[in-house]
Amino acid sequence: MQLKYYNIILLVFFVLSFSACKKSDDTNLVLKNDCIKRTLGPNVVGLNIEFAYAMALPKSAGKIVSAQVEASIAGAPTTYLESRSFYTNASGVDVGIAVGSASVNTDNKTVVTFTKDTCAATLRYFYTVPEAARGKSVTFTFSATASNGETVSYTMGPYTCTKMDMKLDQVAVDNKACYFSIADMAFYDAATATANASKIDLVYLYRPITGINFNYALVSPANTDYLPGVTLPSGLTNSTKMVKTWNLNDFNLARLQYGVYIDDADFTAVDFTNAPNYALNLKAQAGTWVETADGKYRAYIYVNSVTAATSSMTVSIKRYQMK
Amino acid sequence: MDSDGLLITTRAQCYVSNFELLGVDFLTVRTAAAVIDTTAQTINCTVFYGTDLKNLYPQFSLVTDCKLDPKIVGKTDFSDLAHPKVWTVISGNRKVKKAYTVYITVQPKP
Repeated sequence: MQLKYYNIILLVFFVLSFSACKKSDDTNLVLKNDCIKRTLGPNVVGLNIEFAYAMALPKSAGKIVSAQVEASIAGAPTTYLESRSFYTNASGVDVGIAVGSASVNTDNKTVVTFTKDTCAATLRYFYTVPEAARGKSVTFTFSATASNGETVSYTMGPYTCTKMDMKLDQVAVDNKACYFSIADMAFYDAATATANASKIDLVYLYRPITGINFNYALVSPANTDYLPGVTLPSGLTNSTKMVKTWNLNDFNLARLQYGVYIDDADFTAVDFTNAPNYALNLKAQAGTWVETADGKYRAYIYVNSVTAATSSMTVSIKRYQMK
Repeated sequence: MDSDGLLITTRAQCYVSNFELLGVDFLTVRTAAAVIDTTAQTINCTVFYGTDLKNLYPQFSLVTDCKLDPKIVGKTDFSDLAHPKVWTVISGNRKVKKAYTVYITVQPKP
């Protein structure tokens, strides 16, 4: 008899337990969101920081009506929130499906208003680091609103934006645009170099001399030993310290497959003690750390390519102001 | 064990078997293989024109169980060509010591 009552009590307990589980399922009927940062490496002014922001709610609960990102520092005008939701097809290709109108930037907010009846989407956000964020931290608040009135948000950051500058694909041509200014991150011809003599830190030259490895070189104006056949414009006297590297393929500069990034801290870590003021026999994928004569700037000059036929060299630069 | 925590063995061989010289970019600066004279205990190495002699990384390959004195802990300044650098190779049994002088020649400009 006692066993019979025991079984009934046990049955009631199980019924209550399953009822509880069903009730728990009901609590999932809410708008949810998640976010990841897709870009790696330093957050350089002018480059994008990319995020993927996902939001969803059960179909029966409604649809998404808008998505918004609020940055603690307003992004550059090229900042945008993708109005397409991406999925990866069987070939591994990301395919975008339009779900809303193009994003609108208002102050530090970027908003996409949904135009499609959808209950799940993943939008990508591209924050172009503005000049105002140089050396500062930036935080992002992603949020989504559903037709049932629910709102969710997700905070990302803070992320520190770098102090360094970057310039890509500067072309040096022997005996023409061969005078390099680190302050301007540009190659000048002789006439412009004369007018900016104090800013010229390096001279580019190409000398295919038989029997020695000279070829493509960057030499300080002060070191005339390694400037054969170069008649310097008047006033060029800077001695720039240089430390050669090989295979330091910074991702931002090289744009190759290597996941290597030069960050602000790397510039201060380079030891220029007893460093020479010239770098001979540079090749594609080589580079050199440099420090200006006045110690104001340190930079990394990466050689993207060299072309013997045109006596030219293409370089990309990251530069850090020391003082 | 010796003062460096290395095992003292019975080997009495004591010589340099290979010598390499790297620039700050960790690429060789040699124009050809270094000439090692184990009798005269000299190493002659010619480096490329324009080599920065103040910042070089020497690398010695030694016969089994030997060690080098002084130890190489970083960049070495070879710019004083009139006073070549000297390293002593010490045998595995720590009883034989041979001082090797490293002579650097810079490739002349043609």
